[in-house]
Amino acid sequence: MADRPAPPKAQDKLAFLLALVPYLIDQVWVTVDEAAAHFRTSPDEMRKAVMLIAMSGTPGADGTYTHETLFDIDWDDFDERDIIRFRAAPMEDKPRFSSREAAALLAGLQRVAALPEFAARVDIVELMAKLARGATGAPAPFAVRAGELAAIQATLAEAVSAGRRVRIDYVSTRGERQVREVDPMSFEGVDDAWYLRGWCLTRDAERTFLLDRMASAELLGPAQAHETEAAGDELFAGTSTDERVTLRLPAAALPLIADYRGPDDPVRFAGDQAIVTLRIAHPGILGRIAARLAGAVEIVEPASARTAVADWARAALAAHVGA
Amino acid sequence: MAAGPRKIPVEERLFSLVLALLATEQGLTKAEILSTVTGYAHRYAAQADRANLERQFERDKEELRELGVPLETVDAPGADGDTKLQRYRIPRSRYQLPDDIVFSPEEYAMLTLAAQVWREGSLSTDSRRALTKLQSLGVRIDDAVIGFAPSIRTRDAAHEPLTAAIDRGQQVTFPYLKPGQAAAEHRTVSPLALVFHEGRWHLHAFDDGVDARRTFLLRRIVGPVVLAGSPATVRPSADEPARVLDELAALWRSTVATVRVRPGSEAEVVMRNRPGTEEAAEGLQVHATDLDILADELAAFGADVQVVAPAELRDAVRARWERVVQTHG
Repeated sequence: MADRPAPPKAQDKLAFLLALVPYLIDQVWVTVDEAAAHFRTSPDEMRKAVMLIAMSGTPGADGTYTHETLFDIDWDDFDERDIIRFRAAPMEDKPRFSSREAAALLAGLQRVAALPEFAARVDIVELMAKLARGATGAPAPFAVRAGELAAIQATLAEAVSAGRRVRIDYVSTRGERQVREVDPMSFEGVDDAWYLRGWCLTRDAERTFLLDRMASAELLGPAQAHETEAAGDELFAGTSTDERVTLRLPAAALPLIADYRGPDDPVRFAGDQAIVTLRIAHPGILGRIAARLAGAVEIVEPASARTAVADWARAALAAHVGA
Repeated sequence: MAAGPRKIPVEERLFSLVLALLATEQGLTKAEILSTVTGYAHRYAAQADRANLERQFERDKEELRELGVPLETVDAPGADGDTKLQRYRIPRSRYQLPDDIVFSPEEYAMLTLAAQVWREGSLSTDSRRALTKLQSLGVRIDDAVIGFAPSIRTRDAAHEPLTAAIDRGQQVTFPYLKPGQAAAEHRTVSPLALVFHEGRWHLHAFDDGVDARRTFLLRRIVGPVVLAGSPATVRPSADEPARVLDELAALWRSTVATVRVRPGSEAEVVMRNRPGTEEAAEGLQVHATDLDILADELAAFGADVQVVAPAELRDAVRARWERVVQTHG
């Protein structure tokens, strides 16, 4: 098929070839394993790429490929000793970044600029200027503001890297506030939320905790290793004991409740409306969904859930009047 | 090498094209390229395939440009726009990373981390390729120095088409569900910048429907982003993203709400953990960029939260609860 556009994979492979050539020329002499490790690929993929390069070149003045215009590899070293050594190359330039590649890195840099482990060692402004100069065109229009680092965040990052147990004062999505001890496994930031995943000694199970819901965190002694299976998510995912509640909302607004939907929660469509059944851990979550999308979402059944959410809103209004 | 039945992979054809165009000073004509370069040459002889081959070449040029390869078209003297006589080349000076651009191991580690920020979507493709190109520099780093990257999702479906529209200077339309409203409305805008602020992606655009600049939340673009078919009426300035971000930050600093929260409640913990929150006699001083979005967040806490000021926010939160009662009462 001649007419198909090149799949993105071909662009990735081309970027790899264009980056690999100057690296190999600079190294002069490098083993297949070493080169593969540097580019985080397999030795097999590296061999394939080297073969492709070794057979490439530029058409000479008469339009044919000859030895003078081809890459010249030491085949004995390559075939017998798994060593890559080019004796001649028609091209050895390092490629610039595309404007979008530079923009992706620049925007990423704005995000990590606040990380304490780099703040002192890297001049971020100089680094950004270098990146922008290394692009073919003006970087694409993205900008990112890094969130502020909370003190709790630093404590949790240290707990993970130093393998320390932590004690957290935590309020669950059920609204229960408890002091918990956790042996941390990972600490990860997604968008502006940070998640601590670890073994909860209070529950004796693996749990995920949202930094936003921690009133405090303190370091304790060394953490222990735990055998873990599938992680129990204590954020929004429902469990089999939860109540099933059916909601109706404009189909277009479905993405807005994505955080509350499990992968198996059924949805059907009626005109421009979507009817979704969610597993709801406690009535407070219903109130949260209903109020966030007030007017757009309606709880259809069960009747008890409709009553509960209306009562929840009335209570909020009553408390507000008293304020 | 040019002949034979061997099937030539796409990346080999593109690689050969880059090599050929880098090697030429005065440029190659399309006929020269198609008849000599690996990947085209073996199909050039078949006259019937010629049109396909030319279309292939057009797409390949786009692929290279997208990858940041500066492919130039040079008109023959006195024959402007004559595609038969045009010559193609890649000037080395614009292709090559300037020699003085080198990165220390610390900088390299930080760039690696920066690339990991994008965990999905088009930005992750772009940063993966950027990382591959960085590897050409041969900087060696210990994996251990790379810490945790806070990542940003670009799962909003609107991100990719908006980036493309900004790139090409095109107007777009999309359905937008304003916070606090029940139905989406169609907007026609000239997109200017995408900024990530307060954990959310924002689109800054010139709204051609109301003749003014507006900022939209990507999460609230609830349907497909479609090219409107006309060029953007306003183009972004070079400092557009930075300026928009500064404006949002200034707005965030100056927009303060006073809220009371039930001691010990989830509302208290979450509101205290918001960046910038301060304690005052009348209640917590909470910062926000958009009072409607803050109203959504506060309304979700129900009776655990009471808005003291501003009155506009107080009314917005009450209106949400009243609507919940109306819908379910």
